[in-house]
Amino acid sequence: MTETTGFQLWSMRGLFVTLTLFLLLAELLPLQTVPRAWAAPDLIFCFALVWSARRPDLVPIWLLALVFILADLMLFRPPGLLAALMLVACFNLQSNPARVRSSGFMTEWFRAAIMIVAVAMGDRLLSALFLLPLPPLSLVTFQVIGTAVFYPVAVIVSATVFGVRLSSPSDIDALGGRA
Amino acid sequence: MAKDRNTSAEFVAPLRRLVLSVFVLLLLAVFIVWRIDSPRIERLRADITDRVVPNMDWAMAPVTGTVNLFRDFQSYQRLAEQNQELRSELRQMRAWKEAALQLEQENARLLDLNNVQLDPRLTYITGVVLADSGSPFRQSVLLNIGARDGLVDGWATMDGIGLVGRISGVAQNSARVLLLTDANSRVPATIQPSGEQALVAGDNTGRPLVEFIENRDVVRPGDRVISSGDGGVFPAGLLIGALEVDRGGRLRVRLSADYERLEFLRVLRHYGTPQVSDTGGVIRDGTPVPSVEEVAGND
Repeated sequence: MTETTGFQLWSMRGLFVTLTLFLLLAELLPLQTVPRAWAAPDLIFCFALVWSARRPDLVPIWLLALVFILADLMLFRPPGLLAALMLVACFNLQSNPARVRSSGFMTEWFRAAIMIVAVAMGDRLLSALFLLPLPPLSLVTFQVIGTAVFYPVAVIVSATVFGVRLSSPSDIDALGGRA
Repeated sequence: MAKDRNTSAEFVAPLRRLVLSVFVLLLLAVFIVWRIDSPRIERLRADITDRVVPNMDWAMAPVTGTVNLFRDFQSYQRLAEQNQELRSELRQMRAWKEAALQLEQENARLLDLNNVQLDPRLTYITGVVLADSGSPFRQSVLLNIGARDGLVDGWATMDGIGLVGRISGVAQNSARVLLLTDANSRVPATIQPSGEQALVAGDNTGRPLVEFIENRDVVRPGDRVISSGDGGVFPAGLLIGALEVDRGGRLRVRLSADYERLEFLRVLRHYGTPQVSDTGGVIRDGTPVPSVEEVAGND
């Protein structure tokens, strides 16, 4: 019994890593060599938020840290900064799955949106503090709104394609038991 | 049972927070080290990209090809219209071809008269674009040639017509090209025919800004912008584009390179412009200057 759940757990974690690698490569395809006036939503962050809010046991902190730092390195961002902020945001959503379950979807979406905005603002603040060149505000705003709007889509895709639904009390038991 | 769960939750929450803080501190440490000592981490980044991206080429190349094919199909819909445009352009080009031929002959004659040697060391390597930067805030592409092929940071990259960018980050099998459109790109340029010096500064738009022009009155839209070779980073005389004025009245460059389709890029081998550092051997050491009579006598 424990073995099968263990196997399921690890295969789902593997699935998450595969999904992020796929999204990363999709972003890296050399199709967009002209600067655009818009920015696509940050899909990796969005999926990480959804999985964190719904099944925290599938995306432990170390796995998220690994995925985020890889994304930072591959996407030519300042390494570590955005990763650290996104990690804190995901942890915030992970920390109380019982409340997510009881309070309904709109609250969950609202919390996630606040996290997305907070990460973007923290990134901009710290970038300014460390005297990094700031990206244009319009692009960042576009991306933040896009990511927040994409959240329900990511929820539906996660639920239907990957079977990631709200964690049941037994999952939380399992989480407590393992850690 | 419930009591059991509570105790484990009490136990688990601080532990999880500890794990989080460890990882956040690690990530921030990486960031701060990057900020203080950027080249080392950038080399690490280049190495990691070098490991990952060329391995994924088999998956990325077909997708890119398919999308480009689809875009081509879209352009087939306007075939007749394009045909007309091309015919009229062809007529203009014929006239230009005549002019070019005449100029070429004249140029060859003049070069011959002056006994000019073109720099034979200015050769190039061609690379294929593997990936773009993946982020809307950065403008760069990844090439499939790297230190293995002798690439060096700072070399100019062209697409056969115009300047595209410069090499910024070399790994064993791949190299990153910082495009002229990136916000970090600065290239010293000359505006022809007036010869004004300027700086072509990317600002994350398709048309980089032209800054630090001394006298704006002598330049006009349509002037050619070429690299000036100042600072010894770039070879001089590479075509960048044509000057234009945007709605805000600022000068910009319409790039000659086709940024819509960056597939094959040429990297120019450039071994630096020799610097004139001393005043030359005018003052002779020891031996007296020969008198005019001696020199005349030798002849």
